[in-house]
Amino acid sequence: MRLILTSILFICLFGCNKSQIEDVNFDEEASQESGGTLTNAMIGEPNNLIAMIAGDGASSLIAGQIFNSLLKYDENLEFEGDLAESWEISEDYKTIKFNLKVQKKWSDNHPITCKDVLFTWKAVTHPDTRTPYGSDYQLVSSAQCINDYQFIAKYKEPYAPALETWASLHILPEHLLKNEDINNTYFSLNPVGSNYYSLDSWVTGQQLKLKGNPNAVHGKPLIDNKVSRIIPDLSSQFMELIAGNIDLMSINPIQYSRVFPNRPELNKKINLYKEMGNGYTYFGFNLKKRPFDDINVRKAISLAIDRQEIIDGVLLGLGEEITSPYKPGTYWENKNIKKLSFNPEKAKELLENSGYRLNNNIYEKDGIPLSFEILTNQNKQREMTAVLIQRRLQDIGIDASIRVIEWASFVNRFIKTGEFQAVVLGWSLSLDPDQYSIWHSSQQGPGQFNFIGYSNKTVDNLLEKGRQELNKEKRKAIYNDFSSILYDDQPIIYLYAGYGLSAIHKKIKGVKKLSPPAGIYHNDYEWFVPNKFRRNEMSL
Amino acid sequence: MLKYLLKRIIWMIPMLIGISLISFFIMHLAPGDITSNESAFNPKASEESRQKLRKMYDLDKPIIVQYGLWLKRIIKLDFGSSFASHQRPVLWEEKDKNGNIKPGLIQKALPITLLINLLTIFLIFSISIVLGTIAAVRKNKIPDRMITLFVFVGFAIPGFWLALLLMYSLGVSNQILPISGLHSIGYEQMSPITQFIDMLKHLILPVFISCLSGLAGISLYVRNGMIEILNQDFIKTARAKGLYEKKVIFVHTLKNALLPLITILGLSIPGLIGGSVIAESIFAIPGMGKLFYDAVLMRDFPVVMGILTIGSILTLLGNLIADLSYAWADPRIRRGLTK
Repeated sequence: MRLILTSILFICLFGCNKSQIEDVNFDEEASQESGGTLTNAMIGEPNNLIAMIAGDGASSLIAGQIFNSLLKYDENLEFEGDLAESWEISEDYKTIKFNLKVQKKWSDNHPITCKDVLFTWKAVTHPDTRTPYGSDYQLVSSAQCINDYQFIAKYKEPYAPALETWASLHILPEHLLKNEDINNTYFSLNPVGSNYYSLDSWVTGQQLKLKGNPNAVHGKPLIDNKVSRIIPDLSSQFMELIAGNIDLMSINPIQYSRVFPNRPELNKKINLYKEMGNGYTYFGFNLKKRPFDDINVRKAISLAIDRQEIIDGVLLGLGEEITSPYKPGTYWENKNIKKLSFNPEKAKELLENSGYRLNNNIYEKDGIPLSFEILTNQNKQREMTAVLIQRRLQDIGIDASIRVIEWASFVNRFIKTGEFQAVVLGWSLSLDPDQYSIWHSSQQGPGQFNFIGYSNKTVDNLLEKGRQELNKEKRKAIYNDFSSILYDDQPIIYLYAGYGLSAIHKKIKGVKKLSPPAGIYHNDYEWFVPNKFRRNEMSL
Repeated sequence: MLKYLLKRIIWMIPMLIGISLISFFIMHLAPGDITSNESAFNPKASEESRQKLRKMYDLDKPIIVQYGLWLKRIIKLDFGSSFASHQRPVLWEEKDKNGNIKPGLIQKALPITLLINLLTIFLIFSISIVLGTIAAVRKNKIPDRMITLFVFVGFAIPGFWLALLLMYSLGVSNQILPISGLHSIGYEQMSPITQFIDMLKHLILPVFISCLSGLAGISLYVRNGMIEILNQDFIKTARAKGLYEKKVIFVHTLKNALLPLITILGLSIPGLIGGSVIAESIFAIPGMGKLFYDAVLMRDFPVVMGILTIGSILTLLGNLIADLSYAWADPRIRRGLTK
């Protein structure tokens, strides 16, 4: 669908003559000026601006600009204080003490104190709170405030991802919420926060406007207003972008490497940015079923797939191969793993070692042909990936069919019940290396995430140890071992991690040319729109 | 007449229960529920917390019990709240204890969809009647052929494709019309007149696109109805007694040819509240189509059932109104009813 649309767009782009002459030179340097408005687009409307209750991406995107956590990631993905000035971890790793920044205020001028932190922890762990994220915080056995600015969280067992969990919990104002039902409160539509922006207005279904928060914990941002328009269709978003009505959007590989290079007049006003994305796509097997319980079969499939071909075909080259489930270029990536490269001959050899013989161009063993069904959900990139895999497998004598299913049915009828053979799916590349819920053998129940049924004692041990080790170097060693064993076992085949592609209007200054590990949007509080480039908002 | 009306209205009740029962079961037969979709593959969300949610929404109860609970609420005209985390009321706004208003989902989406659909239906009918009349009068001549070609091309063109082309040529290349949305930025500060013009500008493309596919059906209806009546004896009589051709066509023929349109108009009443998902997505219009579509994908049962219930009530009412107005317009049918 998107492909068709884009090709039509092409015809249109070349068919129509652009008569306008734009004489503004957006490349001109400009000095920092505060004020102005940045307009962007979202495909969906936020549900609820209390992030612990909301489950959707749009909500966390907006809520993240309104609320602070105790900690946050700096541009190199190291922890730094957000609401916390500093933090101390005890010798036995079981107690974390946060020293809050003093004299900070909510946007309604009420002071931010430890009471707010304690209230938030109580809310997220309360059994009646409708949050899917409670379990991480329930590991805290007791939490208390020593005084207004010192918060202590005690754990029964050392829990290494703890800091990460405190970096993803938005602290909520106690004074506004203590008498409210957090599941159903008007606060979720009209929040009061402490971060750079606060909510200005919200027109249901159309747009949401944020304005700079004068009490912002880290100081006022340079851009005064942010307008997020709700435009569900990506082609329409793209039109709005090139018409200059929105200032930035994420684009797809076709727009990045086919549309923009052919349109010099677009490059005059729009900059493109490429950075590592946040997820990877994999080819996974149901390890409890034949023939995938045989490691030779998995390796053979892995050798038969040409990953570069998939990256070139599906992402137009805008992606990378990965060998460990961590973001390439970050601390946790295991750089010592040797990649399995495309080698169909070796694949056949492995199959024959396992007792498979060719019959009518299809391998079989004990009279059962090597054939299975690849399942995926309605996602164009995954569908195309499955097709490329199918063809490569056919080349070496494995018969694969493809089935594409709507998401809810996919999850409930096939994944939860374990009634699948192979899937093309994705996981996110998490910032904390803990992968317990995905790979530990205890996580195989219905609805849990080790649905492929991976169980390996050594990996279990490493995952348990990794959760309790807070020393960074020791932790790195543990997860290096974990990712090499995982790669040797090939319970899933890593296919690619795609780049995140953004198009940002040139009038937005202060965007870093080389994006830091934390991503291009990391320093958006330093972005600014020079006065001469600001659009006349009334005339739009 | 009154007896007939009462009978029809009382008959609606078992029909409505039947419709709601079937839609409720079909909706619940689809795999999954809201809890599995919101956070199905988020490793930070545990299965226990999903079970907890399921319990809160009564999704762990047998389906027939769930239907009973729903029916009990709906009889009191309580459409409930959405399962999505905003928990907004399905039908109408609610005030909380502090006097803050949570807007209702249908309440916000319906006026926009109604406005677009009313405009669309009005335009479709008025243009179709003109086109159909011209085609019938000039039967098998060039105007007829051209009109047939035009309405069929309009019918066959994929709306989203034409929409994108028009958005590009009118919104990007020549910035005459806005590309998407309902209002411009800064709408709140405009004067009422500029607000009205702004809104109108935003509506031109969506309404045009929705009209185009509807022209074919109605205009052919008018054309064929006209041709049939033009061949009848009373038209020959009218011409024989020397009436002007204008009078023959506009008074004697058109009036009769328009009768079947009343039925179609009545049947389009339920369509008034249903929006087109594709047009609403492309033009970023927060209407009923997108609301319903998203609710189905999310398995947001209260919203789906709310829209279906209102839709079925309107369908049944539309049928009734169509029958009644037919009787009002055509004495032959009126006599049949009262007998």
